[in-house]
Amino acid sequence: MPKLIIDNIPVEVPEGTNVLEAARSIGIVIPHFCWHPALGRAGACRACAVKMLDGPVKGLQMSCMLPAQDGMVVSTTDAEAMAMRRSVIEWLMINHPHDCPVCDEGGECQLQDFTIAGGHGIRRYDGRKRTYNNQYLGEFIAHEMNRCIQCYRCVRFYQEYAGGTDFGVMGRAAMVYFGRQSDGPLESPFSGNLVDICPTGVFTDKTARFRARYWDYDMAPSICPHCSLGCNITPVARYRELLKVVARRNDRVNGWFICDRGRFPKANVNALDRPRQPLVDGKATSWDEALDALRERLNGFLELNGTQSLAIIGSPRMSMEGNTMAARLHKLLDTGKICYFSDSVHAGQTLEAVASLTPDNAASQEDVRQADLVAIVGSDLLAEAPMMALAVRQAWRNGAPVYVVGEETSTLFEYVAVASLSDIPLAEAKHPVLICGTNHVGSDIIDTAARNKAKLSFILDGPNAFGCALLSQEYGATPLSEAVASGKIKGLISFESDLTLELPAGIRVLAAADCRKTPLLSRAEIVLPSSAWVEMDGTFINNEGRAQRFKQVMEPGLPIKGLDPAGHPPRLHRNTPPGGEVLPTWRIIAKITERLGSEWIEDPLSDQWERLRELDAEGEGISVV
Amino acid sequence: MPLISDIKAIIAGFGVTLHHMLRRPVTIQYPEEKRVPYPRFRARIVLTRDPDGGERCVACYLCSAACPVDCISMQAAERDDGRRYAAWFRINFSRCIFCGLCAEACPTLAIQMTPDYEICKRDIMDLVYEKEDLLIDGCGKDNSYNFYHHAGIGVTQPRGAGLEERLPVDVRSLLP
Ligand code: SF4
Ligand code: SF4
Ligand code: SF4
Ligand code: SF4
Repeated sequence: MPKLIIDNIPVEVPEGTNVLEAARSIGIVIPHFCWHPALGRAGACRACAVKMLDGPVKGLQMSCMLPAQDGMVVSTTDAEAMAMRRSVIEWLMINHPHDCPVCDEGGECQLQDFTIAGGHGIRRYDGRKRTYNNQYLGEFIAHEMNRCIQCYRCVRFYQEYAGGTDFGVMGRAAMVYFGRQSDGPLESPFSGNLVDICPTGVFTDKTARFRARYWDYDMAPSICPHCSLGCNITPVARYRELLKVVARRNDRVNGWFICDRGRFPKANVNALDRPRQPLVDGKATSWDEALDALRERLNGFLELNGTQSLAIIGSPRMSMEGNTMAARLHKLLDTGKICYFSDSVHAGQTLEAVASLTPDNAASQEDVRQADLVAIVGSDLLAEAPMMALAVRQAWRNGAPVYVVGEETSTLFEYVAVASLSDIPLAEAKHPVLICGTNHVGSDIIDTAARNKAKLSFILDGPNAFGCALLSQEYGATPLSEAVASGKIKGLISFESDLTLELPAGIRVLAAADCRKTPLLSRAEIVLPSSAWVEMDGTFINNEGRAQRFKQVMEPGLPIKGLDPAGHPPRLHRNTPPGGEVLPTWRIIAKITERLGSEWIEDPLSDQWERLRELDAEGEGISVV
Repeated sequence: MPLISDIKAIIAGFGVTLHHMLRRPVTIQYPEEKRVPYPRFRARIVLTRDPDGGERCVACYLCSAACPVDCISMQAAERDDGRRYAAWFRINFSRCIFCGLCAEACPTLAIQMTPDYEICKRDIMDLVYEKEDLLIDGCGKDNSYNFYHHAGIGVTQPRGAGLEERLPVDVRSLLP
């Protein structure tokens, strides 16, 4: 562990840390563009100059290129170093357009920040600026090449980190160009990260083009709900509209990046025709009336058919809060069934997968990135959990062999296709990881992993499938298909459920709560509109059993855009925004249980889940395996 | 001698009082009589146009960020030709303190203070001005500046044809 002194502050850092990172660790930020924690150094921008006063090297040095060594004495405020940084930034700005006011990066731009930090303020060069033509890069990313400062982060990410082949750098000298051979959508499923990684506004999110500024954003730490990996994100909203999603760093999970599936789809939250008002038999009504109607119908139903004929349906896409509350409703009513999964085979496999994980053998995405052998069994990672494919690629880039049993179409890494698990030399590796799709979970895989001390990662179905599996065990849940096949079920109440099976016509859907317009909702007698995940606090448990908290990002309600025909926001005052009457599903269930005579529940996480109450949304999450 | 200096001070003080008593009054009989303020006077805010007649405001949100009382709000949008503009722009004059920070922050010279100080209203909602109330047909205090001619990203002219720019690079050429 090298010990060095930076600006008179002694610091000790792990072997291999560079001086720039060492300074960062004590809160000294040296301006930099090309260096990025996930991409490493390139020495391309020359902005991070420091003066080495004493030690193995002396004089002006690039702090990102210099590994910290014992005895170094570094000054970041030395006049020579500051003059160098100021000049470098002045050079970088020579060709930079004068367009911050119309650039979406403005306010969250590293170039703005470091230009100020570097001390360059007034343009002295009066020559003409170099310009480029832009390219059409698809519906998601806007391109403005004039803003480029040639830091090479984009190509290093796109080609090296993410394995993309259709984007690169061309041209020469002061005329290098970052783009595609010709116009066309970027092919990589991780292309959205260009927006985050480019320190200037060359790549901006087209889906949020010209909408808001950083200082006006509504944002909060959140978790991606689009697959079971639980990547950390920061959704950004303004005027009750979800504008964009950016990656949030979590070194154990997604690192610095997210996939495009997690980044770009926003329609579920912003849809104008989302359920926004309680409905009874298709007619809009108030919460009180809807809940009263539900109580009456429920009592009538239970009297007629008995409690055993009612099923409560939870869902792998619902938060832990909602799912535990569904179980409490089931207990309160003593209903026949509680169901979290539709299909019985699938449910069995998910439960088996979850049961086989322990704190020692559950592999996080970081474990996969650090693995020295990766085996993939029956999972098309790019389709089911894109960031896992990216993690496998990092292991492969570090030299780990990748073996695939069954179908894998990814071009992110080279792999050896094998016929069966036994053909993989798991025993030769020190940190092997086995990745397995839910459909292929079986005792053979679990045993093989245990024998070879391999870590396991299962790709589950839904952001909270893990939590649902644990609750299934706790409450003895039945898959819905089984419950229906038993013939006893005559009615159900569903919460955020995406049923995959055709529900027999004889079964009444007494009530359904959801934030999306699902087919089930059109069948429900009572529709209870619920909050989308960005409109509430909650918890998801990801595929490795890591419970992670997401915080409320925005107030629910119809987006201001389009509300008033005159174009501007309404000139009437009101207390609640129109369409803002939705409630988090767990609260809806708490209201139902209150109507049914039990006490009001203030905190949905009870019993063994109480330990999740204090979960820190900015932390790494806690393991519940 | 303290006594003499005390007497001097008292006489000087009353002298000033007497001087003011004999001066002509400065009261202006508003509204019968109106003062004409200097052009730099800070009162009712307007949104101006560039010399080519286009809306200057690019909805960059800098004025609303600078405003200490948060009385400016807007929504940026994009026109078909790529020009950024304010879909709506609202200033709540019942809250504005006419500090002029918005005009100082504006990078396009769009938002400007005018000397029109007579904007009292009986209904407070009438003091909430929308874009159509703010936008004027002239350039205001600067009749030459057009932000897009300097911005360096085309929009009002072909790429590379703005002031201070070279024509776009041909990335496939090997010539210097
Ligand atoms: S496009 Fe952005 S990331 Fe790529 S080299 Fe230019 S400034 Fe750097
Ligand atoms: S891999 Fe899954 S959790 Fe991660 S960003 Fe993509 S969709 Fe979201
Ligand atoms: S003059 Fe001052 S208070 Fe009024 S809108 Fe401008 S910044 Fe706000
Ligand atoms: S600062 Fe100027 S250009 Fe920017 S939004 Fe305000 S008026 Fe428009």
